Amino acid sequence: MAFFFQELVNGITTGALYALVALGFTMVYGVLKLLNFAHGDLYMVGAYVGFFVIQWFGGPAKLTIPVPLLLVIMFVLAAGLVGGLGVAIERFAYRPLRDAPRIAPLITAIGVSFFLESSAQLLFGAQYRVYNTSEFISLSSGIQIGSVTIDSVQIMVVVLGLLLTVGLRQLVNRTKLGRMMRAVAVDREAAEMLGINVNFVIAATFFLGSALAGVAGVMGGLLFNTVYPTIGFIAGLKAFTASVVGGIGSIPGAVLGGLLIGVAESFITGYISSTYTNLLVFVLLIAVMLIRPSGLLGQAQLQKV
Amino acid sequence: MKGRLVLVAVAVGSLAVAGCSSSSSTSSSSSTSTASSGASAATTSCVATIGLEGPLTGPNAVVGQEQLHFAQLAVATDNAANKTNITIVQGDTQLTPSIAVTVTQQFTSNPKIVAVVGPAGSQEVEAVGPLMARATMPYISGSATNSTLTTGKYPGFFRTVSQDSVQGPQDANYIVKNLHPKALMIVDDQESYSTGLVSAMLPVFQAAGITVDHESVSQKVTDFSSLVAKVTPEMTVVVLPWQTAANAQQFGKDLAQQHKNSVIFGTDGLFQSTFTISGSYLSSFGPDINGIPADAAIVAAAKAKYGSFGTFGPPSYAAAHVVDEAIASVCKSGQTPSRANVLAAIKTTNEATSILGQPISFTSTGALVNGKFFLFKINSAGQKQLIPSS
Repeated sequence: MAFFFQELVNGITTGALYALVALGFTMVYGVLKLLNFAHGDLYMVGAYVGFFVIQWFGGPAKLTIPVPLLLVIMFVLAAGLVGGLGVAIERFAYRPLRDAPRIAPLITAIGVSFFLESSAQLLFGAQYRVYNTSEFISLSSGIQIGSVTIDSVQIMVVVLGLLLTVGLRQLVNRTKLGRMMRAVAVDREAAEMLGINVNFVIAATFFLGSALAGVAGVMGGLLFNTVYPTIGFIAGLKAFTASVVGGIGSIPGAVLGGLLIGVAESFITGYISSTYTNLLVFVLLIAVMLIRPSGLLGQAQLQKV
Repeated sequence: MKGRLVLVAVAVGSLAVAGCSSSSSTSSSSSTSTASSGASAATTSCVATIGLEGPLTGPNAVVGQEQLHFAQLAVATDNAANKTNITIVQGDTQLTPSIAVTVTQQFTSNPKIVAVVGPAGSQEVEAVGPLMARATMPYISGSATNSTLTTGKYPGFFRTVSQDSVQGPQDANYIVKNLHPKALMIVDDQESYSTGLVSAMLPVFQAAGITVDHESVSQKVTDFSSLVAKVTPEMTVVVLPWQTAANAQQFGKDLAQQHKNSVIFGTDGLFQSTFTISGSYLSSFGPDINGIPADAAIVAAAKAKYGSFGTFGPPSYAAAHVVDEAIASVCKSGQTPSRANVLAAIKTTNEATSILGQPISFTSTGALVNGKFFLFKINSAGQKQLIPSS
């Protein structure tokens, strides 16, 4: 039983990370109907920001500021810088293609992804960068329930993920910006005719989505310790899958999809074998899509004929 | 229109940046640069160029840089001793087969390159073997240990290290006789180096009646929490024949975080400064040359120029030295070094002693005759200490 709960804890933690990345992905799709394949690389950039913040303040073993302050700076900087990068990408890579056939921005997104990966490799080198989290957050911190261990980084990831999800939901449902985002998602042209600054709304969407990916990148670095230029590929793939399974465009769907993938991976590794993890996770996801093509919380799209 | 012009300008600018960066020696995956070593050209007519393929950047850059440094040291020493003018052209493979193929294509299309030191990884040798064979290029690896590489499938391939069919059973027998696990977990990283070692170890564990949990994770995976949760108290040993030391370090941290007391047993891929889990065992194809008196001058020169080193450098030194001596012997016989005559000379290599503390000669399929493996244990200060062979 303890093993079951340990794997559940591991799965929820990883799933919370996937959910955060998926949230940004699904937000952009919801508003722009664009599959932003560069989204995973924004996660990578966030992870690098976190790494360099640690180095800036003395390195993991000799920090010059308290750990809570370090974490706040890491998250805020990652959110701000990656959010800004997302806005820049939208402005220069996607906006000119807004009215082009759907395949054009899709290909551009793939190009942006390669651009970000190659730029990271050129700027930072291809070698692994290591957070060494255990040097500033003790391995023995956290909660022990019987033989189930929940360390403080795992707790932080889940709590922060939950707060950001609730915050995003509130923003979308209860704020003026959220109303504008929903309006643009339903009909961009009509929203523009009603006086909504569509460019601003889309830029804000990209900022928020990219900021979430940046924060997730820092969390990934704290959890898994290693950062390298192509780390975003896996994150992006998981985000895309989580979004689709949960229902593309749905915020709760992205969270559910992320958690489902995280927990499935954990239990398959624990109860079957790590050799089959990816195989069985995607078999499971295919099964979900066959039963419910619009995703678990997605809505069937009506088409005028 | 203005936005599209800006977009095009950004794209062109980024291509220019990429082009400028790729001309520097180590930042691009398949860049090459010439490093001249040793005797001046004015005093010698024995001129040759050799290639070096290794992970000069990337997660295994520590390995590749050490191999490069020791190869450069060997070439400098041999140029002075033999009055040759051998230069090294570097090729960064990042331990990735597809990149190794690109680098090899560059080397084989360069008529000046008569031999190659490397590549480092067994999976790279498998990828570049056909290209090397087509170009009749001799190539000597100081670290590729998969047993199938010296079964005759790769003409022109040699190695100055032993192979998995020796290392696997040797390590497995040590674990059985000295660590006495009732159960263990062995995890491969889905590359041929790792799967080859696992295949060699499993029969020994099974014959000893040890319960084995064989798992498999990609080198790209960095989350091991779910796998570590499967480690039971009976699994007192976890075997990680991995190439990426940073991943093994993370695995060790996850073991500690989940309060697992298992000992990690790694192989030569973990013999890097990034793996420091106290109490772990490491087997390596390279000896600790600090303990070989005849190597004192090389040790001093290497430390003075490059700082501390592990066990990847010396076999690369040995590989480069074999190539240098082959080139020198070709020149002494009045010929101009070419791939064919250098290959023929390498085949007849018969050194009574070497930096590795053992003679060097090769079998007909390129394997090192009487190759050995060495065992180390990491102490509480993160230092690797040789375990004397019994």
